[in-house]
Amino acid sequence: MEKIDKNVREVTRKIKKLYGESPDLNTRIIDIQGQKIGCLFFESSSQTSTISDFIIKAVDYTKDNIFDDLFESLKNNMFNSQVIIIDDFSQFPYFLSSGFTIIVVDKCDKAIVMETRAQLDRGVTESTTEPILRGSKDSFTESHSKNLGLLRKRIKDPNLWFSELKIGRRTQTRISIAYMNDIADKKTVDEITKKLKKINIDGILDSGNLIDYLTQNKSSFPQFQSTERPDIVCQALLDGKIVIIVENCPFTIILPTVFIDYFHTSEDQYQKSVNISFTRVLKIFAFLITLFTPAIYIAITTFDQNTVPDKLLISLAVQREGVPFPTAFEIILLMTIFEILRESDIRSPSGMSAAMSIVGALVLGQAAVDAGIVSPITVIVVAITSICSMIFTDIDFINGIRAWRFIFIIAASFLGLIGVLSASLILLIKLASLENYKTSYLSPFAPFNLKAQKDAIVRFSISHIFKRPKYISEKNQTRQRRSS
Amino acid sequence: MKKILLVISLCFILTGCGNYAELDKLAIVTGVAIDKDGDDYEISYLVANSPKGQTSSKEGEAKTTVYSGTGETIPDAAMIIEQKSPKKIYLGHVNVVIISEEIAKDGFFKVADWLFRNPEARKQFYLLLAKDEKAKNIIKIISPLESFPSQSIATLLESNRDSISASTTTTYNNFVGYVLEQGADPIVPTITIKGDVKEGSDQSNIETTEPIAYLALGPLAIFKEDKLVGYVKAKESELINLIQNKIKEIKYTLNYNDDDITIDSYNLKTKLSLKDEWHVNLTITGTGNIYNINSDIDISDPKEIRKIEKKWNKSLQKSLKKLIKKMQNEYKSDIFGFGNKIYSTYPQKWNQVKDEWNDKYFKQVKVTINSNLKIPDTGSLKDTLTEARK
Repeated sequence: MEKIDKNVREVTRKIKKLYGESPDLNTRIIDIQGQKIGCLFFESSSQTSTISDFIIKAVDYTKDNIFDDLFESLKNNMFNSQVIIIDDFSQFPYFLSSGFTIIVVDKCDKAIVMETRAQLDRGVTESTTEPILRGSKDSFTESHSKNLGLLRKRIKDPNLWFSELKIGRRTQTRISIAYMNDIADKKTVDEITKKLKKINIDGILDSGNLIDYLTQNKSSFPQFQSTERPDIVCQALLDGKIVIIVENCPFTIILPTVFIDYFHTSEDQYQKSVNISFTRVLKIFAFLITLFTPAIYIAITTFDQNTVPDKLLISLAVQREGVPFPTAFEIILLMTIFEILRESDIRSPSGMSAAMSIVGALVLGQAAVDAGIVSPITVIVVAITSICSMIFTDIDFINGIRAWRFIFIIAASFLGLIGVLSASLILLIKLASLENYKTSYLSPFAPFNLKAQKDAIVRFSISHIFKRPKYISEKNQTRQRRSS
Repeated sequence: MKKILLVISLCFILTGCGNYAELDKLAIVTGVAIDKDGDDYEISYLVANSPKGQTSSKEGEAKTTVYSGTGETIPDAAMIIEQKSPKKIYLGHVNVVIISEEIAKDGFFKVADWLFRNPEARKQFYLLLAKDEKAKNIIKIISPLESFPSQSIATLLESNRDSISASTTTTYNNFVGYVLEQGADPIVPTITIKGDVKEGSDQSNIETTEPIAYLALGPLAIFKEDKLVGYVKAKESELINLIQNKIKEIKYTLNYNDDDITIDSYNLKTKLSLKDEWHVNLTITGTGNIYNINSDIDISDPKEIRKIEKKWNKSLQKSLKKLIKKMQNEYKSDIFGFGNKIYSTYPQKWNQVKDEWNDKYFKQVKVTINSNLKIPDTGSLKDTLTEARK
């Protein structure tokens, strides 16, 4: 707490010094009947037209209508929805940087702070990372208040609570913890708040920065869901989950998340339940395929040839003829190249992606086979594997699968099918032992919850789902009331 | 973490079949032929994955090679092949095993142990007998419809089993099972080459429109224990299958008023039961359609149909009796499993006779055949064509 100097010139001098005479800092001093008023704002982060329209006009109007105290008159004449009175000088930088205008008055140790923020973010646009066929198209933006607004307009219940923290010594990033007060587990909210409060770092720039603080396990599978779609967030809130929204970041974090959540999309709720159940089963197949295909291919061709049907085995053997590398090496080589290709495709500007796909498809696929470096079946195996991993939207989940895929490959190349089996046992043990915020990762399968099966692998018709998932919050279980 | 280490270490300790082999280092054997060369044995392996010459691997086209070796014993012969082949011989995918007549007459068990004992080999391959031909030549014939010979033999067997009632398949497991079973003897299909062997084993065989040489299934071979005793004709094989209740459909031709009538029968069912210790009761039921008729019988007359029906029953019974007599007296081979039925019903009695079953007691078994075959339908023609012309 630092007192505000009663001399306006002194205050402006101090601020200017603080910001190193920064050219975008605008200080304007107006003289009203011998008493000085100082207006401080950043041209870069404030809307100058708003300042002229409201502040200068208000000051002008006050000039002729002072009743007793200049400060009180000014305050009452400000035609703005957001007017704050502060008496702490140390808060000045936060407000100035956020695009507020600060008005200081001579012989007064208080300041008027008014919102004159410039529109420094893009508008609400369509989601590009989570495209859907059916459902609302808006997505979160970099503006914190817009993000909260997108939630508020969807859930009008006053029980939608936001608790706000500022994290980052230098960035002073606003972080909102959103939850349904009467559904979410209070203990989880407290635990998350506690964990966030402990953070003492210079800057938080993205919600991704918080992940490591919020999930402590070393598993490569993620235990949070990150989305930029407000409808997914609202669904999570209604389930009793807790959402963390970070300023300047369109991606929100949903906690706690269980394994099966990565197989669900927001569209699941908007389409016919029978078809969605089929899609989910398909996704589970895709998960198994992308995890096991390369490992099983290695296992059956190098150890357990007995398990392959005659014609297939001979076809595989003829294809491998003349390939100089061992099967395992061949697979790892191609998988690595694919991963590099994927990474470079994400990072490269769009103009280069055409060249990249030609090189990827022709040179690494066709030409590598023709040159006898890899066998055609390996290309097929790697292609199936990567296509199936693309069915998931969460990049952390895809990367988690990738890590385990390599573990499986190594297990298979040393021990064959037995290796694959034991590696999958280890995976199962690891997944089953994961727990975050008192929710088992494999819920509702382990521990088994019969009622929650209505929306796990198969999805029942919404009209038949009456309860919220119990493994997330035990409070206020009724989602739907039976109509009498 | 300790648990994980334990699990991993168990994998190394407790597993027995961790032999690593790269697929292109294996010679995948799909067919085995066993011949006798004087006193020596000759084994031939049909290796399926050998890209001959300039064949591009991407076409996935497999060419086959036959390696053979001769030795005093089977392992000797096998060793010779191992020495010849640049790749490791892999017997896990053997599809067919073809034995020559000499081996069969000598007794198949003499050579069987080696294959049965091999942990790699699957026991589900088909067993065939090469009739009038060296077994080695059979696996050499290249078929125009299948990419490698052993596969064409297996396909030929399977399609015949499914469509022609005279054929059957015997897997290695079946064969051994029949031999070891009390009071039962195996039958094995035979295979032979039609046409020129030398040209048939050339790649050009599949390039001509009409193959110069091709494989054909022959009569069934009757075994007594594990030794070949004789063959039966196609018609008889059909009846054997009928008695063994393996088939449901037969096209049976009978002579009726000096004309041939063929009946397409279906839903055939055979029940084997024992009247008393030495009396077997065979009951055959089923229905049939007139399939082909070349006479001027008025088949729209139900009486005629009943007559044909009666004749059919009688004729079938007669042929069955003849076949059973032949087995009892000539081949002394209990392929129908009568002995097995006695064994399971009267085990004590069986113990007294089992040593001399095939030679002495089998022929004493009395067989009664009851048949209840019906013709409810005349096919899609009401009259015979001959009659319609009138």
